[in-house]
Amino acid sequence: MRLLRALLLALPFVAAAQSTPAIPPDSVYQLSLRLTTQAGTAAGLDLQRGHPVLLSMFYGSCPAACPMLITGIKVYESHLDEAARARLRVLMVSFDAARDTPDKLQALARLHRVDAARWTFASAGDTDARKLAALLGVRYRRQPDGNFDHSLLITLLDADGRVLATTAKIVGDDAFLDKLRGATAAPPGK
Amino acid sequence: MCGRGVMAVLALLGAATAAADGNPYLKVDGAELPTVLPAGKQVAVTVRGFMLQRHPVTNAEFQAFVDTHPQWRPGAAAATFADTGYLGQWGAAGGNAPAIAAQPVTRVSWFAAEAYCEAQNARLPTWYEWELAAAANASQRDARGDPAWRQQILDWYARPAGAGLAAVEQAPANVYGLHDLHGLVWEWVQDFNSLLPADADPEQFCGSGAQNLQQKENYAVLMRVAMLGSLHATDTGHTLGFRCARDLP
Repeated sequence: MRLLRALLLALPFVAAAQSTPAIPPDSVYQLSLRLTTQAGTAAGLDLQRGHPVLLSMFYGSCPAACPMLITGIKVYESHLDEAARARLRVLMVSFDAARDTPDKLQALARLHRVDAARWTFASAGDTDARKLAALLGVRYRRQPDGNFDHSLLITLLDADGRVLATTAKIVGDDAFLDKLRGATAAPPGK
Repeated sequence: MCGRGVMAVLALLGAATAAADGNPYLKVDGAELPTVLPAGKQVAVTVRGFMLQRHPVTNAEFQAFVDTHPQWRPGAAAATFADTGYLGQWGAAGGNAPAIAAQPVTRVSWFAAEAYCEAQNARLPTWYEWELAAAANASQRDARGDPAWRQQILDWYARPAGAGLAAVEQAPANVYGLHDLHGLVWEWVQDFNSLLPADADPEQFCGSGAQNLQQKENYAVLMRVAMLGSLHATDTGHTLGFRCARDLP
């Protein structure tokens, strides 16, 4: 029983090892989170594993900065050719789970006219959001009026969740774009 | 009546988390806290009452956690969660080595501290909670207006880093019964990475940041904000430890 209890306590931090290859020790997918997607389903951070991912944090009621962030990601995407873009996934994680319900997230996805096949909007509970922000280097603080003071950061992950690049510039970071092109290029031999 | 039942539950909780028997959670009453980080334009923040461990988590206490959570052994923690300095002070005897068992555990990342507290059915204190508890000296809840008290803290900050650690609870407790909030190690807080406004650069903190702060004369707090605000969650430091907090029942 003691071992079982220890294993259960260990679960929140350790991604369950299954038949898929082990998650690299420096991958963000080491962090086990419980996300709720715009479809209302539960998912882990690694829901898009196998693809390069643009990962960012936001909240839906954000008046200006977050719409700019989403637009900025779409602009970076637009610099890719169609085949490269098809390989890319985008994950937007809200730290305002109370207000950013699945319905609200769906509405945001429609409003920003994102490619629903490749973009996922999700929310995380307070503890999980804090851990993810700490991992990525995103700063945020809930204000008394319910809005958030937060930094903007876009993180590029490889197919196994390792960080390839980050940018705080929602437009015009050429070095970041180069990394994005590299991450979404056709695999050798294909 | 209700209080008795709650005390019984707390006693059971205390018994269930054996490692914390020697490091109980003490009550800190809620208060209006004049703070150097006003939320928005406020000058004082309302901090709800909470519970905080009596001393920083020791090497022995952390060893007990590692015994039941082997993924947090030195060398086992994923690079995602701790840098290569993690628990570097532990030799073959780990946290139970007599020389360090009663000293605060250091070289633990924010993730490791979080994991320890979660295993205790606890959490890290928030910045405001920690400040509230740390504003006290042995006789009053808010000693921050006392220049001699402030100077004592600054003297500690000025001590060379290689001086070595002491065991916990060697110095007198403050008015809440808490030891070592000053004079021993820096301590992680839950919201270390959002102490400053989102657009503030910690490296330029002493310039523009200071103008936004209340109680500018409290340099010790400024240093603490600058230090914690510059950390990453995977950072470990040989003078950086933590203690856990709980909500009031």
